Amino acid sequence: MSAIICKELCKTFRQGDEVITGLDRVSLAIDAGEFVCLSGPSGSGKTTLLNAMGGLDTPDSGAISVGEQRLDTMSKSALANLRLNHIGFVFQAYNLIPVLSARENVEFIMQVQGMPAAQRRALADDVLAEVGLAGMEGRLPSELSGGQQQRVAVARAIASKPRLVLADEPTANLDTHSAAQLMELFVALNEERGVTFVISTHDVRVMGYARRLIRMQDGRIVSDQAQQPQGMEPA
Amino acid sequence: MSVNWVLAWRNLWRHSRRTWLTVAAMVFCNVLLVFMISLQLGSYQVMINNSLAMVTGHLQVQHRDFLGDQRIRDSVPAAAQLAEQLRTTLKLESVSARGQAFALASSEERSFGVLIAGVQPQTEALVSSFPGLVSQGRYLQPGDSDAIVIGAVLARNLKVDLGDELTFLGSGRDGSFAAAIATVVGIVDTGINDLDRGVAQVPLGWFQETFAMGDHGHAVVARLPSLDAVPAAVADVRGQIMGHSEELRVLDWDALQPGLRQAIQSDLVSNGFMYAVLVVLVAFSVLNTQLMSVLERTREFGVMLALGMSPGRLARLVAMETLLMALMGLALGLLLGALLIWYLAVFGFTYPGMEEMAARFNMDDRMYPQVSLPALVWGPLTVFCFTLLAAVYPALRLFRLQPVSAMRAV
Amino acid sequence: MAGGSGVIVVLAWRNLWRNYRRTLVMLLAIATGVWAMIFFSALMRGMTDQMVLNGLATLPGEVQIHHRDYRRDPSVANSIDAPSGELLAALQQPPVEAWAGRVRVPAVIASERDSRGVTLLGVDPDAESELGSLPEQIVQGRFLADSDDRGLVLGASLARKLDTELGKRVVIMSQDPQNDVADRGARVVGIYRARLASTEEQYVYAARNTVQGMLGIGERVSEVAVSGGDYRRVDEWAPRIAAAAGTQLEVLTWTQLDPFLGSMLAMQDGFTVIMMVIIFLVLSFGLVNTLAMAVFERVREIGLMQALGMRPSLILYQLLLESLYLLLLGLATGNLLAWLTVKPLESGIDVSGVAEGMEMMGMGTVLYPALAVEDMLMATAVVVVLGLLASLLPAWRAARLDPVRALNKT
Repeated sequence: MSAIICKELCKTFRQGDEVITGLDRVSLAIDAGEFVCLSGPSGSGKTTLLNAMGGLDTPDSGAISVGEQRLDTMSKSALANLRLNHIGFVFQAYNLIPVLSARENVEFIMQVQGMPAAQRRALADDVLAEVGLAGMEGRLPSELSGGQQQRVAVARAIASKPRLVLADEPTANLDTHSAAQLMELFVALNEERGVTFVISTHDVRVMGYARRLIRMQDGRIVSDQAQQPQGMEPA
Repeated sequence: MSVNWVLAWRNLWRHSRRTWLTVAAMVFCNVLLVFMISLQLGSYQVMINNSLAMVTGHLQVQHRDFLGDQRIRDSVPAAAQLAEQLRTTLKLESVSARGQAFALASSEERSFGVLIAGVQPQTEALVSSFPGLVSQGRYLQPGDSDAIVIGAVLARNLKVDLGDELTFLGSGRDGSFAAAIATVVGIVDTGINDLDRGVAQVPLGWFQETFAMGDHGHAVVARLPSLDAVPAAVADVRGQIMGHSEELRVLDWDALQPGLRQAIQSDLVSNGFMYAVLVVLVAFSVLNTQLMSVLERTREFGVMLALGMSPGRLARLVAMETLLMALMGLALGLLLGALLIWYLAVFGFTYPGMEEMAARFNMDDRMYPQVSLPALVWGPLTVFCFTLLAAVYPALRLFRLQPVSAMRAV
Repeated sequence: MAGGSGVIVVLAWRNLWRNYRRTLVMLLAIATGVWAMIFFSALMRGMTDQMVLNGLATLPGEVQIHHRDYRRDPSVANSIDAPSGELLAALQQPPVEAWAGRVRVPAVIASERDSRGVTLLGVDPDAESELGSLPEQIVQGRFLADSDDRGLVLGASLARKLDTELGKRVVIMSQDPQNDVADRGARVVGIYRARLASTEEQYVYAARNTVQGMLGIGERVSEVAVSGGDYRRVDEWAPRIAAAAGTQLEVLTWTQLDPFLGSMLAMQDGFTVIMMVIIFLVLSFGLVNTLAMAVFERVREIGLMQALGMRPSLILYQLLLESLYLLLLGLATGNLLAWLTVKPLESGIDVSGVAEGMEMMGMGTVLYPALAVEDMLMATAVVVVLGLLASLLPAWRAARLDPVRALNKT
C-alpha cells in the first residue's frame, strides 16, 4: 500500500514581479515504511513538495493523497486535524514553544490531540526517554542544545504514533555529531515502528541515511533512486 | 493546572516590561476611577444631606399649588395637628409645621424685605440644622411669642443686635394689613451668605396671629433617617392625608429641590464622558500590546498551525493571556484603590479653591469618599471588560494566518 | 554632521512606519486623547464663560464704583454723586466702552395678593443698553422708555409669584436716606425673562430719575458700572479708573466683587491642566511601551549602526524624533477632530432637561462649548513636552546598548 501518492502536482508563487515555479508536474508514490530523502538546492521545490504532503499548502493543480485520503479536496480544518493526529512534523528551527519545558511541549500537543490528562505526563516522559532525553524533561528549550531541541521536536512529532513523519531540513542548524544522532533516531523509529519518513535536505550527511533518494531541481524530479543506506561514515 | 494556562501565563512574561507597563496603565486608570467615582458619589451624599438638612427636609406636605409660586393663600389647614398626626404615622419625632410670609422688616435705621418663617421651635430643631447654627443668643424656645432669630448678614444689613426690635409690615393671608414687632433673640451664622441674608424665624403661633393664618401653615416638613426611607414614608403620609383634604399633596426632596438631582445627573454625565475616554485609552494600550505580542509570535503560531492546531485554539490562548493580564490589573487596581479610599475615608480630601466651592454648593470643605462596593468596582470592572474587548482584534488576526507563510515570517 | 542629521530625519520617519499597525493604534490613541483634552476644555471653558457671563450680567460691568460702605451696608444712605470731573473723563476714554450710574436698593414689592423682597434698580435705559445689562428678553409689554419712565419692569417668575400681570398696579417700598419708608404705586409696563429664574425674582427695573425722586436723593446713584470688553483683561485698566475715582470711592473689579466667579476662572484653568495631564498619563504607558518595543525589535540594527560608528547621541536623537513624529501626527489628528466636533456645537447644546440643576451651578439651559486656541496650544504643549520626557527612557536605553552584544542578539 502506498503511503503517499502525488499526481501531476503544480504550484507557482509570485515574488515581486516574478512568477516562481514551486512544483512542475511532479508525480511520485511513496510506500508505507519507506525512508525517503528529498534533496536539491534551495528553491528546487523540495520544501514545497513536503508542505503539499503535509497538507500545509494546497497545489494549484494535480492530486495528492496520504493513506486513503485525498488532500487536495479536503477542507482546512480537516487538513489541520490530519496533521494533528496522523502526521508528525519536524521543522528546521523555531520548532518548540520557548516558554514551555521539554515535557510541557510534548504534553501540550497531546492535550490538543485530546489525550486525557492522567496519561499525558507519563506518556510524554516515555516518548522523551525514547528519543534519549530522559532526565531533561523539565528543561526549557533555551536550556537545551540544538540537537536536544530537535529531539524534543521529534518526541512531539511521534507522540500521537503517526504513520508518517515529515521533516524539513531537520539538521540545518546542527553540528555533525548532533545531526548524526538525530538521523540515527529517525532510522531507529523507521525500523522499529515502521514509521514512514520523508526528509527534505541539502545536507549530504543526511542523504547517506536514505534508502531512496529523490533529487529535485526547478520544481521537477530529476532523479529517483533506491540506495543502500551508508550512515555517516563515508561523508 | 492545564498546560494552556501555564503557557498563557509564561507568554505574558516573555516581555515582562511591556506586560508590566500595560498592567500599570490599567492599575493607574483603575485607581483613578475608584478615586474619582468614590469622591464624586461621596460629595453627592453630602450635598444632598446638607441641602436637605438646611431647609427642605426629606418630604413635605403642602397645598398643591404652593410649590410653584409660594403664595401665602395656598396654605395647609390645621398644620400643627397634621404634624402631630404624621409623627404618629411615621413613628418619628422629626416632623414640624411651618408657615412663611414676606414682610418688610425695619430696624431703627434700615429696612429690608425678608421671608419670615413661622416654626415650631422644639421640632424645628430636629428637622433643620439652622437651630444648631445659632452663633449669638439662643434659638427660639417653646413659649416664645414675639421672638425672632435672624441670619448674620441680615442682622448686619439691618444694623441690629441681640435684644433690638424689628418691625414687620406685610399682608396677611386674607389680604389684610399685617404689622407686628418682634425682639431679636438669636443670630444664625451658617457661613453661606445667601442663607444668612434670608433667614428670619419666629414661633408658628405668633406668625399665624400676625399674618391672619388662623391655624394654617404652609408646609409640614419631615426629616427621615436616610434617603432610602423616603419612598415608604411618602406612601405612608399620602395614605394619611388622603381623606384629610383634596388640596394637599406630599412632595419628596426630589420634587422640592429638582435642581439637586439634576445637578448630580449632569455632573454624572460629564464625568462619565471623561471616564469613558480614560477607559478607551487604556483599551488602546492593551490592544497595542496584544497586537505586538501576536505579531512577534507569527512564526511560532505558524509552527503551531502546521502541527495541526486550530486558529481558534490559538485565539483562545491570546484571550487567556489577555484575561490574566486584565485580572492582574483588576486585582491590583482594586487593592490600591481600596487602600486609597480607606485612607481618604479616614483623613478626607481637599484641594485649593475648594472652600469657595464648598460654600456655594452647601458642602463640607473637606470631601470624604463614599466607601461602597459599587463605587469601588464600577471603574475597574469597566476597564476589565474593555481590556478583554481590546484583545478581539489581535485574536481575530490569527484566523487569517497561513501556516507556511507564517513560518517564513521574520 | 548636518548630512547625517538629514538622513536621520528620513530614517526616523521610515522606521515609524515599519510596524504600521502599531503606529496606527498608537496614533489613534494619541488622537483620541488629544481630542478628549480639547473637547473637555471647550466644555469647561463654555461652562465657566457662562457662569461668569451670567454673574457679570447681574453684577453688571467688569468694574463697579461704590460708596466705600455700600457693600457692607447696601443702603441708599451709602450712595454717591454721579461721576464728574476727573472720573467722568476717565470713563469717557477707551478701553471703557460703556458705563452707567444706577440706583440699586433693597425693596419690597407688594401686589394685591402677595409681597416679596427684591432689589430695585433705578436705571438709565440708554446707558444700560450700551453696557449690555438690560434683561435679555421682554416677553410682555415694553422696557422702560427713558430715565423718566414711571412704570416698572418685572421678571416673569416674580410676576407669577406676586399673582400680578402686565398693566396691574403694584406698590414698591424702600427706605430713604432718613430711614423712612418711601413707597409709590406703579404700573407694570413690562415683563422680562432672564437666563436664571433667580434673576427674574430678584431684580425689578424702574427708571433712574423716578427712583431718585421717590427716595429723594437728587442725582445720586448707588453704583457706577463700567465695561471694557474682554472680562479676562479687566486688571489692565481697572487701576486707572480707581486712581481717577479718588480715595472716597471704592473701585472693584468683578473678581473682587464676586470672589467665587474669580476663583471659578482660576479653577477652570487648573482643572483643564490637571485633566490634560491625567489623560496624558494614561496615554503615556502606551507610548513608552510602543517605543520600547520599537527599540527591542531593532536591537541588532542599532548595534550595527553603533558598530558602523554612529554616536549614541544620534541614536537617542533618532528615537526621540520618531516619537516626536508620532506625537505630532496624533496632535494634528486630535486637534482637527476636536475642531470638527466642537465647532458645530458652539451654537449651543440644549441641556434644558436638567435646567434647575444647571441653575444651581449658575448656568442657563444652553451649554455653549468654547473652542479656544489657548486650550489647543496647551494640549499640544502638554503632549509634546511630557511625550518627549516619557520617550527619553527607552531612547536612552537604546543609546546605551553595547554594540557587540546587540549584534549577537537573535
